[in-house]
Amino acid sequence: MNQSTDTPIVSLHNVSKSFGRVFALEGINLDFYPGQIVSLVGDNGAGKSTLTKIISGTEDPDSGGEIIIDSEKVGKWSAALARNRGIETVHQNRALSEQQSIYANVFLGREKTNRFGFVSRKAEIEETEALMRKIGYTSKVWTPKSTVNKLSGGERQGVAISRAILFESRLVMLDEPTTAMALSEAGEVMDFIRDLKKAGKSVIFISHNPWDAHMVADRFVILERGRVVYDAPKGDMSADDFIALLHKFAKKDQS
Amino acid sequence: MTSVVTTSKKRKVLIPEEYRPVFGAAIFFLLMMIAFIISAPEVFLTVGIYTAIFLSLPLFTIVGLSLVYITAAGEIDLSFPSIIAISALAFTWTLEQTQLNFGLAVLASLLTGCACGWLNGLLVTRLGLSSLITTLGMNFALVGLTNILNNGVVRGLTDIDDSKFRAILVGSWGPMPAQMFWSAGIAVILGLIFHRHRFGIHVKVAGDNPEAGRAMGVNIERTKTLVFILIGVCSALTGIFAVLLNSTFFPTMGDGYLLPTLAAVFVGGTPVTGGKGTIGGLVIGAATVVFIQTGVVAAGLDGYWTSFGFGLVIVFSLIGHRRFSGKLTR
Repeated sequence: MNQSTDTPIVSLHNVSKSFGRVFALEGINLDFYPGQIVSLVGDNGAGKSTLTKIISGTEDPDSGGEIIIDSEKVGKWSAALARNRGIETVHQNRALSEQQSIYANVFLGREKTNRFGFVSRKAEIEETEALMRKIGYTSKVWTPKSTVNKLSGGERQGVAISRAILFESRLVMLDEPTTAMALSEAGEVMDFIRDLKKAGKSVIFISHNPWDAHMVADRFVILERGRVVYDAPKGDMSADDFIALLHKFAKKDQS
Repeated sequence: MTSVVTTSKKRKVLIPEEYRPVFGAAIFFLLMMIAFIISAPEVFLTVGIYTAIFLSLPLFTIVGLSLVYITAAGEIDLSFPSIIAISALAFTWTLEQTQLNFGLAVLASLLTGCACGWLNGLLVTRLGLSSLITTLGMNFALVGLTNILNNGVVRGLTDIDDSKFRAILVGSWGPMPAQMFWSAGIAVILGLIFHRHRFGIHVKVAGDNPEAGRAMGVNIERTKTLVFILIGVCSALTGIFAVLLNSTFFPTMGDGYLLPTLAAVFVGGTPVTGGKGTIGGLVIGAATVVFIQTGVVAAGLDGYWTSFGFGLVIVFSLIGHRRFSGKLTR
């Protein structure tokens, strides 16, 4: 991938977000290229989640900033528009309606309907079934009709992630996808992210875990207090060097 | 994610989970009917009592259907009794002014209901007010407005007795009052929308996890506003049926609806916590409630027992739903 020739899927120009007098993000300039895995790291409150929310359309940036999709500036930006442009998000809280069925969650906001808006349940259930098989839901206990509140944390994450790949997504953002997961489950999420890259999709991966962040990344972006303080390709940086780099910023922050 | 295989044993499902509340409400209704028949067979084994019940049952059902939507959406509406009254006034007044132009009168009534519901929705979703308090206030305001506009008069509409319109809406179709068929039709439509339409899913998500809905691009505010408008429309329909049935408008028209209709929602198995609901359950719940209202008196008990019966039914049905929902899987 060549950053200078590829058109970024998403570009942020001078994007800020303030809550009252506090800046969660300040003058962010970032480009996200096709087929690239970006590890977005930073301390608690650095603005990682706010950044994902702005890109995914669930939070509006302050006026003055620009969101550019495929070199075209967007005026109005919303979650529905972001999904239409192929930007899917696996939110930290997973964004599942627990009392609804798995298939209803997978198709939430994008129901397969006839022209009167009635849901084609059969089609949705079949596609969900195929998807569950694909991501390895070998359990016979859960069917697409099972409600989400019966699933374990890892299984719920599985539903949230499968929802993100079902549609023709080009950029998948995963906000702390391995939080509260067993090691084996977390390992599978990492494999899954590599699969996304193989399929040519770009990924924004947010994690507290520097080893995970280092392992899958092509490029690191470090946020501190709402600003981008480091943005460079991984190159041959080792995990130890990367962690040392993170510590350097964390220390600077305290001084 | 191959390892996320659950360890719990495969359960034998007797009744699919989504039908359990309806099933529970039906069993409860049958038990109640058996009790009625045993206590007063001479009343409950004759047609007369059912004709009486079928006159008013549809009115509770129509407005109750919309309350399932609002409960599932995680909100509540206490203003529907006054919307029934004010849209009934709009209907009656338009009839008086236009020498019985029924089309215009229905339109005026539905628009009045829509406007009230839209205002409720706006206050709740745009200003973020509590729906409980907003609609409680709205109920008082609309009762007052109805009285101000109507000036405390009871409006008789004896002219409409022989009209074709009245015969179609509340006449007798064989032994059955026409409004039974109308309410059944509305129940089928609203049931299909609630359980099978995109809108129904969004309503339930709005009550269960609105953030999830927003993250997936669902317009939660619009969904909730539409539900408030639906209540306005259903209240207006109930108001129209009530005026036609009595050939009279009286300003206290909506008074008897608040608690029985809400009770019908919960007796039917729609949980108060939002996120799900059942239209079939509401139909059975409304029947339960109306049978208690009429049945207690018909069985020869003092009218005071009606409230007592209500109380028992609500509490026992809630206990029943709680236990029943877990019990049918083993």
